[in-house]
Amino acid sequence: MVKVDRINLSNEGLTKFFSPIEAQIMEVLWTNDNSTTPEITEKTGIPLSSVAGTLDRLVKAGFAKREVNKNGQRVRYLYSATESMDNTANAITRKVLDSLVDTFGKVAIENFHTYHNKK
Amino acid sequence: MFSITKEIDCYIECIKGSHLLPLVVAEISLALLLFAFYLKTRKPIIRIFSIITAQLFMLFAIGTIISAMRCSQMLTIEIYTAYVVLSTLVIILLPRVYYRILIKKYKAKPIIDIMDWPQNFVNTLNEKSKVYYYDSAIPRAFASGKMIFLSIGMLELMNDLELKAILAHEVWHLRHNNQTPLLRQLSLMTFTKNLSEDELENLADTFAGEIVSKDAVESARAKLQ
Repeated sequence: MVKVDRINLSNEGLTKFFSPIEAQIMEVLWTNDNSTTPEITEKTGIPLSSVAGTLDRLVKAGFAKREVNKNGQRVRYLYSATESMDNTANAITRKVLDSLVDTFGKVAIENFHTYHNKK
Repeated sequence: MFSITKEIDCYIECIKGSHLLPLVVAEISLALLLFAFYLKTRKPIIRIFSIITAQLFMLFAIGTIISAMRCSQMLTIEIYTAYVVLSTLVIILLPRVYYRILIKKYKAKPIIDIMDWPQNFVNTLNEKSKVYYYDSAIPRAFASGKMIFLSIGMLELMNDLELKAILAHEVWHLRHNNQTPLLRQLSLMTFTKNLSEDELENLADTFAGEIVSKDAVESARAKLQ
């Protein structure tokens, strides 16, 4: 399962929101449109057995999209990220902020102000 | 309240004085003989035929016992009758509906929608089989009923020869072991052992090696490991 709904603050970088394999794959998809499965395995260095299941999950969760490309009598998937990295960052940020405000209300908003002023 | 001793007493009492006793003995003996045959034989079609015939003889025996009975509420007979009727129905109906469940589950589509040759190749081996594909990057192939299912991940990963080897492997399951899930189910219901999964896979690989090539089978296997 894609991890965005169970954020792990102690992890580094994107692995706070994605599993390490998901994060590596998303980085490839954010920088390369229409990637084939062999290209993704090559760029991430992750074996196909792990990449294939993760790609299915990312597509199901809506972070990646794929189309079936027919080339003569061969078929292959072409993968792209559904949204740019910035848009995905926006969506995740909004989700986290909504969740904080839902849980802590005014305290959370006051903290956003303090954070904003410090910046 | 159910009591096994009363049940046994009842059976003895029912059968002892009945003129149908020789018939009951004959029916049960035939059922046991066919069941022994089921345990001994290896050929799938004979196994299925023998277990179904054994079940039918047991049903006749039950019918005969009931008509000879002077007792009522024989729970064991009711339970066994229900088991035989249900299991016979499952044996006969499951293979006819299971592949349809799979088509719906995987939202599978006929492979001829995206490529022709796999279906043409399978037609040369088994005209009644249809090849379906489904949307998943995980390379998988399996057969059920008269259908062969391939994931797009499998189509991506294999070259034509390897794919032919995989299709031939699945055709073997359909042709020679069409009833594999059925036999597994039978082995569960009858507490007996069938050929193991590994043995079946090896036989299917041998067939695929003869039809396509041993190298293609080995390289397909290597890619899947």
